[in-house]
Amino acid sequence: MHARIPALLAAAVLFAQPTPAATDDAVLKDLTAVITLHGKPCGEVTRADRMGDNDFIATCKDGNRYRVRTKDERVVVEKQ
Amino acid sequence: MRTIACLLLALTAGCASQSKQPVAMPPAVAEPARPPDQKLAPGTSPAPVPHALATAPPAAKVEAAAHLDLKGLERRLRSTSAIGLFTKLALKNQVDDLLTKFRTYHGGKQPPTLTDLRPNYELLIMKVQSLVQNDDPLLAGDVARSRETIWGVLADKTSFATI
Repeated sequence: MHARIPALLAAAVLFAQPTPAATDDAVLKDLTAVITLHGKPCGEVTRADRMGDNDFIATCKDGNRYRVRTKDERVVVEKQ
Repeated sequence: MRTIACLLLALTAGCASQSKQPVAMPPAVAEPARPPDQKLAPGTSPAPVPHALATAPPAAKVEAAAHLDLKGLERRLRSTSAIGLFTKLALKNQVDDLLTKFRTYHGGKQPPTLTDLRPNYELLIMKVQSLVQNDDPLLAGDVARSRETIWGVLADKTSFATI
């Protein structure tokens, strides 16, 4: 029984990686607005995966994916 | 004993059969705005106010809203909860880009001409309006009303220098 604990801990550490955080409606709305402001086709952002501070991968209803982040005090929208 | 039971039953039935009568309430009338220090004397009722007067917005407020300048617009956009942080920053970027173009124009370089700049300005104003109109219609209205005022400031070299 005790021998299993280190194995379980090791597995937990092994599989513990920064997972994209679930985002709320306000973020989806914000990302939709930003992508639209940049004139990119999207429709509506249905999923947003947080990659870091002010850094998201936005998945649109139409299938497009964009990385939305801030760089040098500007919002950058890059197609993925 | 049976009589008492019958009486109790009749009494209960009588109470249950009474339909609830709506309580007569005074009609809901908006009370006119009154300064906090102005109080009504006890026993007196407020004087009736014509409906048009009661609903009309204060003239000073309308006047102030119509003269939203660039700084005021920026302040309102910062404080509104209608748009998120990314959107606010993206809008700021676009405003800054437009101001750079105006700076070039006022610096004597052409293009851009004022005719070139006007559609850019109109488009930006429309973007702002469409972004806030659902969740902050007051701001959207103020932006629409201030469109010409702000354009006047941007287009005039002397006014632009004060920004």
